[in-house]
Amino acid sequence: MSEPKIIRFKDIARAGDEPLVTLTRDDLIEIPQLGDAPDVQSPQARWLERYDFSLDGFSDFDLPKPKTKEEEERLVNGFLRGLEKLFDPQSNWPFVKIFRLSLDYCVRCQTCSEACHTYIGSGRQEIYRPTYRSEVLRRIYQKYFTPSGKLLGSFVGADVEVNAKTVWRLLELSYRCNVCRRCAQVCPVGVDNALLAREIRKLFSQEMGIAPGELLKKGTRQHLKAGSSTGMTPAAFKDLVEFIEDDIFAKTGKKIKMPIDQKGADVLLIHNAGEFMAWPENPAAFAILFDAAGISWTLSSEAQGYDGVNYGAWFDDVELARVALRQISIAKELGVKKIVVGECGHAHKALCVLADRVLPGDLSLDQIPRESCLPLLWEIVKSGAVKFDPNKNDFPVTLHDSCNVVRLMGIVSPQREIVKAICKQPVREMTPNGVWNYCCGGGSGFAIMNSLNFDQWRKNVSERMKIKQVLDVFNDVLDPSINKYVIAACSNCKGAMRDGIDHYGLWDKFHITYGGLVDLMVNAMADLPQPYIEFGKQG
Amino acid sequence: MKDENHAFFHPSSLILLPLREGTMEWFLILFGWISAALFVIVSAYKIYRVATAPLNVRWEVYPVPHEEGERRHYGGSYMEEVDWAKKSRAGSLVAEFVEMGQEIFLLQRVRKYNVYGIWLLSLAMHWGLYLGAGLLGLLVIENALPALAPLTNVVGVVAFALGTLGAFGLIAKRATDRNLNLYTAPIDYFNLLWLAAIFVLGLASFATAGSFAAHRAYIGSVLTFQPAPIAPLVALTFFAFELFVVYMPFSKLIHYFAKYFTYHSQLWDDAFKVKGSPTDKKVAEQLAYTAAWSAPHIVPGKSWLEQAQNPNVEK
Ligand code: SF4
Ligand code: SF4
Repeated sequence: MSEPKIIRFKDIARAGDEPLVTLTRDDLIEIPQLGDAPDVQSPQARWLERYDFSLDGFSDFDLPKPKTKEEEERLVNGFLRGLEKLFDPQSNWPFVKIFRLSLDYCVRCQTCSEACHTYIGSGRQEIYRPTYRSEVLRRIYQKYFTPSGKLLGSFVGADVEVNAKTVWRLLELSYRCNVCRRCAQVCPVGVDNALLAREIRKLFSQEMGIAPGELLKKGTRQHLKAGSSTGMTPAAFKDLVEFIEDDIFAKTGKKIKMPIDQKGADVLLIHNAGEFMAWPENPAAFAILFDAAGISWTLSSEAQGYDGVNYGAWFDDVELARVALRQISIAKELGVKKIVVGECGHAHKALCVLADRVLPGDLSLDQIPRESCLPLLWEIVKSGAVKFDPNKNDFPVTLHDSCNVVRLMGIVSPQREIVKAICKQPVREMTPNGVWNYCCGGGSGFAIMNSLNFDQWRKNVSERMKIKQVLDVFNDVLDPSINKYVIAACSNCKGAMRDGIDHYGLWDKFHITYGGLVDLMVNAMADLPQPYIEFGKQG
Repeated sequence: MKDENHAFFHPSSLILLPLREGTMEWFLILFGWISAALFVIVSAYKIYRVATAPLNVRWEVYPVPHEEGERRHYGGSYMEEVDWAKKSRAGSLVAEFVEMGQEIFLLQRVRKYNVYGIWLLSLAMHWGLYLGAGLLGLLVIENALPALAPLTNVVGVVAFALGTLGAFGLIAKRATDRNLNLYTAPIDYFNLLWLAAIFVLGLASFATAGSFAAHRAYIGSVLTFQPAPIAPLVALTFFAFELFVVYMPFSKLIHYFAKYFTYHSQLWDDAFKVKGSPTDKKVAEQLAYTAAWSAPHIVPGKSWLEQAQNPNVEK
């Protein structure tokens, strides 16, 4: 590993297209089990003229670089205007208080640095340190908006010039943080660098409409327009459900009708719609379990009602409120007792926590409770309504904790109890785990961001630590004759695991695969004639 | 005695000219009160500003110490149960105090997670400040209870020694460790140097007399508005300290109060909204605020509630 380059805050304003840092395999932390990990691919030459790679040689933004002075000015002015609005108690009421606290009171002790998997994974490159982007933002704010900054300049650290390059690099930098908030957990002052990253994203989205295409245009916009961020319409959803029902019959011999739009059911189960397309065995497993346990439940075929995602959680408060309002109103119209969120981490966080205070009283949590699926699944196991045979799950299993479900909602124990009850071998805990876990590297939208060469950054940098943890936890059973399973009870985490397993060749080399918790539960159901999990076929 | 004092530099000469007999003493008495008043007023204003800022959305991070039993240790929450909205919760405020106490007195997070070797130095400096505050209290009490003098001596000397060590140590650390110095602005060194100067002056003023009697006398004069002779070094110590007290609320050195809010409004605020509750009413008020953003997907001039109700898409 080579010594990381010193990059100063002023460098972010540097003219020209040369990236502040260029990563090669040798810069990144080693993964001993892999020997030679794949090298980092440079952006395609044909992109360089048109798009901006000047932060670190990676980008998800297929937006043309500003060409004229006017275009540059527009970018700079939009940024400064947006920054000012972040301090406005009306325009940014959901976060203004904690935003200011995080901006004003960092004591620059760097206690948070070693908490960050992207910083460590990158070989400790300065620009990925949790405090680097925060400090750039802080210095800009001081220079342009505070009397002390205007008066005392670099003496108080107010030394970052805002030009088009600064603005662009800061935008990119706000998408080099998974918003996993592991750094906030260890900060002695309670400063939240993830919050600051998200605020930067917000100002770009809410003020200028600039966000990764997958999150805004093909994300929340598509979700609100077509019904799902996958583009799936209500009619397509119903077709898929029928297909899944057939599949359940083919795999298990069970004829299960997945209830849709059942008024007055106890539970509205809401999945990440990506599951229906990429991992249909997951909603199928829920249906098998709920059916076997005799739970009164339904899916919704209303637009937004069959897709529990809420990408606004990652970058835009207005979009967050719009999506959540629609999802919760659908539950109210159906007259269900509560919403239960399937295996999707950010949908958990958005529906059960984040949206609570951006919606009117009728949609409060006491009126329409929103709960995680995990406690309910544990109730099913505890109740004995479904018979599980742990011998059917006789292979090494580890548990990846979704940051949104675990660190940010405190749901730690039910999933562990379930695994204990349905697996032959004790769960192998990663180091660290539970609320102290490392993010999968796909958090805050990264798992679905695949424009230009962003996937190169995700695979090589943000997913690296998780891959290392997985290999470490299975270190004594790496022999490919032993199938191994990483439980990832979150669609986004599954996307990242699929990506990482593929990139680092973990299935081919070590027979490590991944999947949901419900898949593993159904695999252990005593009355199923054949295994539900098909090793080697995931994703 | 008085004449001797006047033979030295004294800070009042910067402000009150020409000097008359007792001017410096009066200045220091008044400045003592003014600095304390400014500290209280500016700090209270800052706290008021934060406390009355809009209610933020929930943004907690686990472990949350007021959770029940084992949960507070492994980071579990009430959301680990089904139907939690219908259940009553028994939280523990004591655990919050314990956690806060560990942070304040042991700098627990710095101890556990900081890899740049600043914990002991930072701990020394913070204890220098805590004991320094204790010294101030003792000097007040000692005016009525002179028997406390030996304790005052110990507390004072330890405070200044720790503070000096911590402040200079942190300056050296910040200047030499590349992980820290990039992030250290000149003002950070300035703050540390100022603190170091106060601690050194404290030590020196003690050392010259071998006791804190002169310090106690000064505090007594402030409390009673009775000017009393004051040795120059003692005067300088208090002046540097009182100026610092005025400056503190304007700087990020008051992160301790920020910490109360970051912990309680952010990291540990896990209360869900109940229809008709004060939180719900506050949210309703805030939903009427205008979301004055300019992106194409935002509807111009509309309130937060109207924005939420209008997805702004063509069907
Ligand atoms: S964010 Fe917190 S931990 Fe990180 S440098 Fe600032 S005060 Fe220290
Ligand atoms: S939130 Fe996570 S990814 Fe972002 S800076 Fe903090 S630790 Fe790193």
